[in-house]
Amino acid sequence: MSPIPVILDCDPGVDDAIAFLLAKQLPQLNVLAITSVAGNVGLEHTNYNALGLLEFLDWDVPVYRGAAGPVFRKRVEAAEVHGSNGMAGFDLPHARSEVEGVSAWDAIHQFAVQQQGALEIIAIGPLTNLALAFLKYPDLPQLIKRIVIMGGSTDAGNATPAAEFNIYADPEAADIVFCSGVPVHMCGLDMTMKALMTPAELDQVAALGSKQAVFFRDVVQDIVGFMRRLGIIGINMHDPAAVLYAADDSIFKAYPAGIRVETKGNITQGKTVTDLFSDAKWQKNGFVAMDIDREAFVKWVFELMSKY
Amino acid sequence: MTSKIPIILDGDPGHDDAIAWMLAKASDKLEILACTSVSGNQSIEKTSINARRVMTLLGIDAPFAMGREEPLHGEPIHAGNIHGETGLDGPALPQPAIETEPLSAVELMAKTISDSIESVTIVATGPLTNVGALLILHPELKPKIAQISIMGGGLAFGNWTPAAEFNILVDPEAADIVFKSGVPLTMAGLDVTLKALVFPEDFERIRALGNPIAVVVAEWLDFFYNFHRSIGYAGAPVHDAVAVAALIKPEILTVKDYYVQVEISGDFCRGATVADHYGFSHQPPNTHALLDIDREAFIDLLAEAAAWYGKELE
Repeated sequence: MSPIPVILDCDPGVDDAIAFLLAKQLPQLNVLAITSVAGNVGLEHTNYNALGLLEFLDWDVPVYRGAAGPVFRKRVEAAEVHGSNGMAGFDLPHARSEVEGVSAWDAIHQFAVQQQGALEIIAIGPLTNLALAFLKYPDLPQLIKRIVIMGGSTDAGNATPAAEFNIYADPEAADIVFCSGVPVHMCGLDMTMKALMTPAELDQVAALGSKQAVFFRDVVQDIVGFMRRLGIIGINMHDPAAVLYAADDSIFKAYPAGIRVETKGNITQGKTVTDLFSDAKWQKNGFVAMDIDREAFVKWVFELMSKY
Repeated sequence: MTSKIPIILDGDPGHDDAIAWMLAKASDKLEILACTSVSGNQSIEKTSINARRVMTLLGIDAPFAMGREEPLHGEPIHAGNIHGETGLDGPALPQPAIETEPLSAVELMAKTISDSIESVTIVATGPLTNVGALLILHPELKPKIAQISIMGGGLAFGNWTPAAEFNILVDPEAADIVFKSGVPLTMAGLDVTLKALVFPEDFERIRALGNPIAVVVAEWLDFFYNFHRSIGYAGAPVHDAVAVAALIKPEILTVKDYYVQVEISGDFCRGATVADHYGFSHQPPNTHALLDIDREAFIDLLAEAAAWYGKELE
């Protein structure tokens, strides 16, 4: 089977960096482009980090600069988790530039046209770029086969009690994406909180010895400390789990659902509301990943990192 | 004799309210001081006459007062699709022999709590309209409310809308008052009540007890399950009875404390109960949330309660 043509839309971001490390080694994916977006930290950092990660990995993929903030509201960020530069203080090598004069949303449309309906999007940051692409190009929904996102949660949030960060950062954009007509596969906290790697497993990856494997362990250490203060031993591999889901969903459990985003509540803005458990049912517009075989996930990560 | 927990039953009967009240009356741990009706499963006229019929059937000899038609804010919502045209369709029930007190549900609650020597527990199995009004009109009574055992909400999801459970959705503003009140709350939400399913073989166990009340309970279950089967349930979710079981047999329930807030606004989330799983709000817990139940023990409790009426009638 030929690899899936994908665009990776991201806000690196520490767990985005891990997602890059894995995506490069996945034979199921053909990453045509990276689009950057403001999210974990500001766009000046996420765009810079995306370029730096590609240089570090010696991976030749064009980068397109995306949105510097949400469609309708003020920007929020998660620098306390990812460090002020978004990369836990690591400064990556810099010899590259993004593609001049083409925005992320224009690039998404161009690749979608070029791929004639086969393109899939893996979006692991706020969904601003995709929303702008849908707003600008009415033909886009017919040209994208599937969208896999890291974002949302059917119950508890991590940015607020109700909302997960990526959706909370741009709720209107997220709702535009869920309503686009393209099936959205939601890799939210229900599943990603189970995609845990323990400190011992991180050490095992580092022991593989490559610079990439050592970076894998080292870049997440601040988050491991952050999670320990929340009572969680290890790191939840939110973005990497979404990338692996996009490559092969056989170790995951996902269910068809109607999914919308609350954009107006007092305490629920950015909550993904699903009809999975309620008597009231909505039209199905996607799938919600609820579970992952954690052991198989860790083994897969190990296999991919062994390729460096 | 061990002292009983004095309770007020506030509900919108409703099949599961009626079964909850059946459980409460049969318990030697509870003493029913008063019953009040609230608009919810059906209009206030219908839930009030149902309440009085159920009290008459069960032999609950306590004052009864009627709530108001509207929620504290917004339009009434009813659930005739589930509970039928009367709000308690199914078996024939006796004409009410209980009078309606000439005061409102809220004032009867206030009087009952004031007059009681001990602190009173409120069992709220309908929308929280009466309880919310009580807490804003009589804040001085809060110290005399031992706890409020609520059937309502869901930490993770709803039933009437994807985000909201019926009782909270009907009157989110009242629920907001209750959750912010500081009064100890036990919440039997969908998290636990959907695990408290009564299966058809359990109906037959109760029916076979043979006493008139057990037969009526079985027929309520027949009616209630008929709707739920049509939307894919494996049994009848007798939500409200869990709020009573929590007082009689807390040991069969799994509880976790959370800070819970009620969303009163929003396109999709009005009426959602939002729990702070990770402590972002830095607020101390305000709710004992029931998360799981020993279903077999719950069924035994219902069957033993239904059997009690057989002995009582001998």
